[in-house]
Amino acid sequence: MSDLLLIILACAAVNYLLRVVPFIIPIGDKLPPYVKRFLDYMPVAALGALILPGIITSFPDNPAAGIAGIAAAGLTSWLTGGLILPVFASIGTAWIVLQYFPI
Amino acid sequence: MKTETNIFMHPDFIDGARNALPIFIGYFTTSAAFGILALSSGLTPFEAVVFSMTNLTGAAQFMAINLMASGVLAGEIVISVFLMNLRYFVMSASLARKLGLQKKIDKAVISFGVTDEVFTVASLKPGEVSTSFMRGLQYTSWLGWTGGTIAGVTMGAFFPRSLQDAMSGSLFALFAALLVPEIKKGYRAAILAVSAGLMNTVLYYVCHISAGWSIVISMLAVTAVAAALFSDDDTSGAEIQEEACR
Repeated sequence: MSDLLLIILACAAVNYLLRVVPFIIPIGDKLPPYVKRFLDYMPVAALGALILPGIITSFPDNPAAGIAGIAAAGLTSWLTGGLILPVFASIGTAWIVLQYFPI
Repeated sequence: MKTETNIFMHPDFIDGARNALPIFIGYFTTSAAFGILALSSGLTPFEAVVFSMTNLTGAAQFMAINLMASGVLAGEIVISVFLMNLRYFVMSASLARKLGLQKKIDKAVISFGVTDEVFTVASLKPGEVSTSFMRGLQYTSWLGWTGGTIAGVTMGAFFPRSLQDAMSGSLFALFAALLVPEIKKGYRAAILAVSAGLMNTVLYYVCHISAGWSIVISMLAVTAVAAALFSDDDTSGAEIQEEACR
């Protein structure tokens, strides 16, 4: 079995445990407001940490392609919503920068 | 299949499946993007499909393939996924109370299919939510997520090289597309994301902490501080859980 497959299955186990434990052990759902906010904010903070500084290093030869791509994605997402269109907008923009504005 | 038709023909099952149609469409397209990006992150088509089949989770899967592509250690990936998906624990706790399942097999299967969208639909449905309804809702959602990845890895195999190069930034585009709707809901999401991003940048470049751990530390630190500072409840997603808890 490949290393990646092992990581994937470990992630699956973690996700399943998070979901199944409250069904087996009734813990109730009255959480203190601080804990609730903590859980709400976590995914948003994660997205921020995933974008920066990763976007700068995603195109080591031409960082402008990454920055132009994510700008196009952000704009498309703001205007149209959804996930597919912003992704395609970013691929198209990055492709244009890589083809026509090489460093 | 014939012997099982009683499960799939149950009116509540069909009702649940119908309720899951918008989820199916959203999952299919997102998951197709996942399939394409997984290939450019170095996963095999088989690994990508197994990932979707067994994990059934959105942003955390994208995060994981991003970390895999940058060669981050396994432990850091699993901890990041755990932290990002802690919310499932809360959703399951709330659903467990609402559904009141008795059979062990139902608990084992239905808990597997708890996602943000399934949770929202089931929680907001007035009155009693039957096991058949949950099955229809979850099986349809799972089919959308798994089918999308299969479609994505099939499409990705035909993409030319220059396009694959241009795709190395598309994961970040996806993160941005996930983030923008949160920012539209309230300015706090913008503060959270920018703080976490800046902290991660400093930890990585100035303190030379590895990419996986710097993400974990930034997530935890920024969230802990923000949850303490923002005392009153605002709009960024909290209201769904609020309603479910009542």
